[in-house]
Amino acid sequence: MLSIKNLKASIEDGTQILKGINLEVKPGEVHAIMGPNGSGKSTLSKVIAGHPAYTVNDGVVELDGKNLLDMEICERANSGLFISTQYPTEIPGVNNVEFLKMALNSKRNFLGLPEMGDADFKKLCEEKMQLLEMDDRYRDRGVNEGYSGGEKKRNEILQMAILDPKVSFLDETDSGLDIDALRIVANGINHIMSPEKAVILVTHYQRLLDYIKPTYVHVLRHGKIILSGGPELALKLEEQGYDWIEEK
Amino acid sequence: MSYNNTALAQAAQARINALGIPKRNNELWSFFPVNKIPSVVSAESAANGTADSAAAEGCTVECADFGIAAETDIAALLPIAKSAPIMKKDFAAGETEMGLIKSRADFGHSVFKIQKNAKVSLEILDNKVEHEIAAERFDINVEEGAELEIFFANPANELPLQFRHFAIKQAAKSTVHFSNILQDAGIGRISIDVDLNGEGANFDYRSLSVLKGTASKHQRLTIRHNAPNTVSTQFARNLLDEKSYVSYDGSVIVGNGCSQVNSSQLVNSILLGDESSVSVKPVLKIYHDDVECTHGNTCGELDADQMFYLTSRGIPAETAKKMLMKSFAKELFLPLNDGPAKKRLLQVLASL
Ligand SMILES: Nc1ncnc2c1ncn2[C@@H]1O[C@H](COP(=O)(O)OP(=O)(O)OP(=O)(O)O)[C@@H](O)[C@H]1O
Ligand SMILES: [Mg+2]
Repeated sequence: MLSIKNLKASIEDGTQILKGINLEVKPGEVHAIMGPNGSGKSTLSKVIAGHPAYTVNDGVVELDGKNLLDMEICERANSGLFISTQYPTEIPGVNNVEFLKMALNSKRNFLGLPEMGDADFKKLCEEKMQLLEMDDRYRDRGVNEGYSGGEKKRNEILQMAILDPKVSFLDETDSGLDIDALRIVANGINHIMSPEKAVILVTHYQRLLDYIKPTYVHVLRHGKIILSGGPELALKLEEQGYDWIEEK
Repeated sequence: MSYNNTALAQAAQARINALGIPKRNNELWSFFPVNKIPSVVSAESAANGTADSAAAEGCTVECADFGIAAETDIAALLPIAKSAPIMKKDFAAGETEMGLIKSRADFGHSVFKIQKNAKVSLEILDNKVEHEIAAERFDINVEEGAELEIFFANPANELPLQFRHFAIKQAAKSTVHFSNILQDAGIGRISIDVDLNGEGANFDYRSLSVLKGTASKHQRLTIRHNAPNTVSTQFARNLLDEKSYVSYDGSVIVGNGCSQVNSSQLVNSILLGDESSVSVKPVLKIYHDDVECTHGNTCGELDADQMFYLTSRGIPAETAKKMLMKSFAKELFLPLNDGPAKKRLLQVLASL
């Protein structure tokens, strides 16, 4: 469903950050990407989403056979891609709920569906907020405005729940969450997940993977995936770190 | 009450001619495209003594001579020189009133007194201008404890060249909220002279320019803190597309002996067009120690991370841009008290 082949990308000064990433994600799968700080995990998510800070030098990224790299940022999202950034952006002055509604109706427009009205949206929003045990604070404020680190992460998953994407790329969603919030958010992700969808989780710790069982675990280092394995790989990394892995 | 202004018109025209049409080096007109000022400004007018048209029964406004001899800004003199009919009105003490001022298509002059403890809300509406220049003057005397809200937010209108001059005098504990949204295509200049004459007087200015094409809007403010404990706020935000231009020239003068004065000036601009630009000139003249005066100026593009965030959630770039523009603009007017001005300004914003 998501197919990344030989993806290379650089930043403005020409420095290559992604040096040939290959990843095949099938429906129903959960992929965990781990790796040392600065290895390119966040860059990978942003490049796939179309962040203007990066130039793609080579490679293909396909979602259900369509090349994402040829699409506008919003088109990629509306085609079923969702990325949750490590540090969600604050947008004071744009109300969180209005933003969510605008995002959902943009997708419905794109798919040729009628826009969802206020009443229906309110119901949907309420249901998803309950799932993630979120209170009214999220409703009244600007997007991520003054949210704590954990609140921002929870708001990301609320967006995922409402937009119902095919493939979600969640960058360190577990960081900043307290113990209860981690359980609630992880359960939320499991609830949204289904055999037709897929999730890619970037994480540094096993604790998230205790809740969300990965199908595969990958190690990304120096802009390449240098090792892939099953869930047991995450446990080994937690014990031994990254130094034992030989780079090809 | 009838009033003949022939003598005043002649005096004003003589003063204009003595000052001459502003040149680029005239510091009151630093950023204005002075070559666009038409020759009619200096032409001797047929001052024919228009009678006072709208004098209310029992009006106590004194027209005096509007300070013609000492005036240095020709925009303040022009309506008088061209024998603009004078619209006089007293707003009664202790009453609450709302009013609409129909702006004139050529030359207009309004003289208002906001009497003690009155609460007045005035919206200025534009007429379509067919002449090569329109100039208006407002003399507003705000008495002790009075509150005036004055605002305009006219939808896009073809104005070739428009001057608006305000001379505002505030007594103790009076408040003026002056707000506007500028979005028409022409060249415009607003000049405001404020005298905070009584202790505790407060002047608050909020201006939003949303421009495109070759529109250019110029603001010149001179705020004189002539009494202790006076407050002035100037807050301008600009969203400038294509080749549009805004200039902001704000002077704050704090007189000797005026302690506990607080004044702030902030101009934030977002340049949406490659060829849009903004000029800001803050001037502080402070003749007393115990005062707090700040000024700031920022200029940039729409926040790239915010644009990415919105579009990465499926919102088309054009819509995302609009959302960010509106939120930037809204912040300017949100602190206003709920009332006709805030309602109207936010309404106009929603339709941008
Ligand atoms: N826009 C950018 N400008 C400059 N350098 C960048 C940019 N984006 C990424 N980099 C650099 O690329 C490298 C990879 O960054 P990235 O954020 O992808 O790492 P990461 O694997 O997500 O790390 P972490 O685990 O700390 O989140 C880093 O050295 C980073 O400084
Ligand atoms: Mg990262």
